[in-house]
Amino acid sequence: MSDVNISVSKEKWAKANLDTGEAEYIAAPSLTYWQDVRQRLWQNKPAMAGLTFIILLVGAAILGPLVTPHTYYEQDLKLSNIAPILELYEVDGGQETPTYFFMNSGNFKLYETDEHGTLKSILRAKKKDLLKKRHLYEFGADQVYVDFSQLPARLLDGEGNELSTYGTKWNQTYWFGTDSLGRDVLVRQLYGARISLTVAFIATLVNFFIGIFYGGISGYFGGNVDNVMMRIVEVIATIPLTLYVILMMVVLQSGFISIIVAIGTVFWVDMARIVRGQMLTLKNQDYVDAAKTMGAGTWRILTRHLLPNTIGPILVTLTLLIPSAIFIESFMSFIGLGVSVPMASWGTLTSEAVETLRAYPYQLFFPAAAISLTMFAFNFLGDGLRDALDPRLRK
Amino acid sequence: MSTQPLLEVRGLTTSFFTSRGEVQAVRGVNFDVLAGEIVGIVGESGSGKSITCMSILRLLKSNGRVVQGHAKFEGANLLELSEHEMRKLRGDDIAMIFQDPMTSLNPTLTVGEQIIETIITHRGSSRKAARQRVVELFELVKIPEAASRLSSYPHEFSGGMRQRVMIAMALSCDPKLLIADEPTTALDVTIQRQILLLLKEIQSRLGMAIILITHDLGVIAEVADRILVMYGGMVMETGEVNTIFAAPTHPYTQGLLASVPKLRTANKERLRPIPGSPPDMLRPPIGCPFAPRCVHAMEICVEQVPPTFDMADQELHQTKCWLHHPDAPKNSEDAA
Amino acid sequence: MLAYLAKRIGMMILTLFLIITLTFFLMHAIPGGPFTSEKMLAPEIEAALNAKFGLNDPIWVQYLNYLRGILAFDLGPSFKYPGVRVNDLILDGLPVTAKTGFLALLCVAALGIPLGILAALNQNKWQDTTVMMFATIGVAIPSYVVATVALYIFALKLNWVPTFGLDDWRGYILPVVALSGFWLSFIARLSRSSLLEVLGQDYMVTAKAKGLHPLTVLFKHGLRNALIPIVTVLGPVVANLLTGSFVIEQIFALPGIGRHFVLSISNRDYTTIMGITIFYAAFLMVMILIVDLMYMLLDPRIKLAENSK
Repeated sequence: MSDVNISVSKEKWAKANLDTGEAEYIAAPSLTYWQDVRQRLWQNKPAMAGLTFIILLVGAAILGPLVTPHTYYEQDLKLSNIAPILELYEVDGGQETPTYFFMNSGNFKLYETDEHGTLKSILRAKKKDLLKKRHLYEFGADQVYVDFSQLPARLLDGEGNELSTYGTKWNQTYWFGTDSLGRDVLVRQLYGARISLTVAFIATLVNFFIGIFYGGISGYFGGNVDNVMMRIVEVIATIPLTLYVILMMVVLQSGFISIIVAIGTVFWVDMARIVRGQMLTLKNQDYVDAAKTMGAGTWRILTRHLLPNTIGPILVTLTLLIPSAIFIESFMSFIGLGVSVPMASWGTLTSEAVETLRAYPYQLFFPAAAISLTMFAFNFLGDGLRDALDPRLRK
Repeated sequence: MSTQPLLEVRGLTTSFFTSRGEVQAVRGVNFDVLAGEIVGIVGESGSGKSITCMSILRLLKSNGRVVQGHAKFEGANLLELSEHEMRKLRGDDIAMIFQDPMTSLNPTLTVGEQIIETIITHRGSSRKAARQRVVELFELVKIPEAASRLSSYPHEFSGGMRQRVMIAMALSCDPKLLIADEPTTALDVTIQRQILLLLKEIQSRLGMAIILITHDLGVIAEVADRILVMYGGMVMETGEVNTIFAAPTHPYTQGLLASVPKLRTANKERLRPIPGSPPDMLRPPIGCPFAPRCVHAMEICVEQVPPTFDMADQELHQTKCWLHHPDAPKNSEDAA
Repeated sequence: MLAYLAKRIGMMILTLFLIITLTFFLMHAIPGGPFTSEKMLAPEIEAALNAKFGLNDPIWVQYLNYLRGILAFDLGPSFKYPGVRVNDLILDGLPVTAKTGFLALLCVAALGIPLGILAALNQNKWQDTTVMMFATIGVAIPSYVVATVALYIFALKLNWVPTFGLDDWRGYILPVVALSGFWLSFIARLSRSSLLEVLGQDYMVTAKAKGLHPLTVLFKHGLRNALIPIVTVLGPVVANLLTGSFVIEQIFALPGIGRHFVLSISNRDYTTIMGITIFYAAFLMVMILIVDLMYMLLDPRIKLAENSK
């Protein structure tokens, strides 16, 4: 492989010009820990998508109900259970302007709209024949029959031919449709987001503080204090926390504050464990001793050394506590133990939607999608944070 | 009359294909191991010494591959055998022990079981016979109360004892070649010595060859017959231990020997490390890998990888350095 | 070994005792009694009912009576259904809940673990990405959302399975799927990460270096270690399957214990709420004990650590 008798030109024997700095060259530019974390997080697409979604959601939740034309509690029973997407029909009947309407396939009623899909009002039938299962509507000279003798119901003209649709339009008055009491689904969704998110955030904060306090003390003092405190946590955590929340809600009665209290006083156990674990490890880390040998005081140790390194897992746990809180709150509301009427949370919306599921599935779609996407977003973000904070993943 | 070497490695080149590019861990390594001799491979972290041996046994991680070269064990090229044939050799004719015995032993199985399974796999013995053999092995490696320790778990042993277990496990099928990857690095100094002496004693009793990988020159001096000095994925110098320790011919070897603190060093004398850091194997230097840190570096060194030159003083003494080219300037060639 | 067991059982009893006490005093902290809420009862009737159920006795007496009842496995009478005891309600719902729960657990373990293993062994290949994609979705969507959506699609629209009721075996499909969905995904992810971590361990290289057959390496050395964290987590999984069953039974109108529980909540039937909570807690304790035993068998480090104390 190597030719020992290679001839080498004379100049090559001159001393090489080496930049001594090059010898110490380290491959990648060094970043501070937090720059590193931020960079890793930035590159994590699902996490970033999650974060964007959360920001948008929070924005919508705060601003949404302020800008929509409807309120979350306004009811219009005549316009209940209207879908977000309408199939419009056009009828002339010799009037000045044609009339547009659509049929609500759940109750076989007709509603008038304008040509773009803005609702006008419910229409009254001229004649209702329950035996033959047909309703007759008159528009000027034209007649329209709603025939529901067979399902799906059909719209027929005076001669018995099926009407052709004018077009499919998005409901302009109620973008997400209305629910069974004629309330705007969109604004209720946003309002529900507000409630669900607020409960989740506040409850998580409460958990956070209780957990940090409890775990911090337990970890910092160690020894018997730690043993006893952790035993207590063990006992509490053996039972699924949901049961505790249920019991508390039964006692406290449904309500906004109640659910926050219930979640807040129960879910801190995870945070406590994490904080305590961090405390124990960090207390004994070599660099704490190193800092001490350099004369650093206790406060300095805590803030410059212990805290920045503890923050990581705490932040991750915090981010992942939020979807748990959302889940519990909506779960509770779903079984009737969460926020009370007329407040809407995603849980109550889902529960209401289930009742009308057969006829009006769109009402379930929105809260289900909202909950799912939000949980996704937080989970992705939490996972991303966890990956970004773990230096062992540095390639 | 030269006997065929037990292991003959020529041009071994191994790379890892990572998302950041190709890491050339081993670049053209040649060496022989004769039956019954102890060969030490010395080098810094990242020099390629461990990877060389993992390549030979084909134990590389999934993104690693031997891209060139051959490794002939008793005439057969290990790199071309089927996986089935390799399995027969591993643990049987060629055994390997690793650096950290705590993580290298399965924590959920008894040590007895971990050795018994090897024996049964390769020898097809009965359980009873295998157990008996394990007891013999434990006595060989001087584990006290051998018979009762079979049912113990790895975490019940101290570091030194665990390494003895690893050695016992490696010896279980009378290997012809034992590869020991930094067997004493994770142990206390006093235990280190015990383990080394044990290895030497066993070796002379059983007559097997050992490849001993280490970064500690003291270990080499204690145990090895011949030595390979590796740097940047290549063999820089090779020869008999005494020759090399007395008169190293490669600047890197010279630097290594000079950097070892000696008991007799005068109080005020400074330690003499080799300045600089090991090369980045993702983008290794074009020429000699040691050139950036070498005091004697010449233009040719930076431009071209030096060929391997035979040294006059002794057979099998070779150096990969331009300084030993016939035309090289003589005055810069002096021992440190 | 025995000492460890005794200690665990002791903890169990202590925890159960605390739960019982907590539940009892919580229920009695609710303002008014169980009979004052909805209907307007004539005061004499209310007084008579209170007396009959011993609600006028001092609270400690009631507490002790309750404890005595529990020792005899009697959870007291239901306040809502005259003449019915809580035990009866539980026994009534037990078959359905047990069947659904067991099937769900089976799904979680028998599907989740192999899927996780499959993903780990084919890291970054299509098997891995597919399994992980479904698993990530699975852990993000709450069970009752899955239940309601699945109900809509498969029962109402496609009519593949009945909407409610358990007339035939097909009625079990949706509830079991909805109940196990989250935990199956969770276990799959855990199995995958656990096995991946084990595969990177040094002793796996040692096993290979000894020339053992790859299947031996995988099962005897790899899975044996990888299963430990999975088994540890099975206890809480069972616990959560339990709480999940409340809602699932509600949505699919399954006549199980969970349904009684939810009903008793809206009915404010306190003895039933208490009784079922305690029943659940006791069941959980036993499951966790079993899981702990399995864990002890798998990981010798625990057994011996306890022994040497």
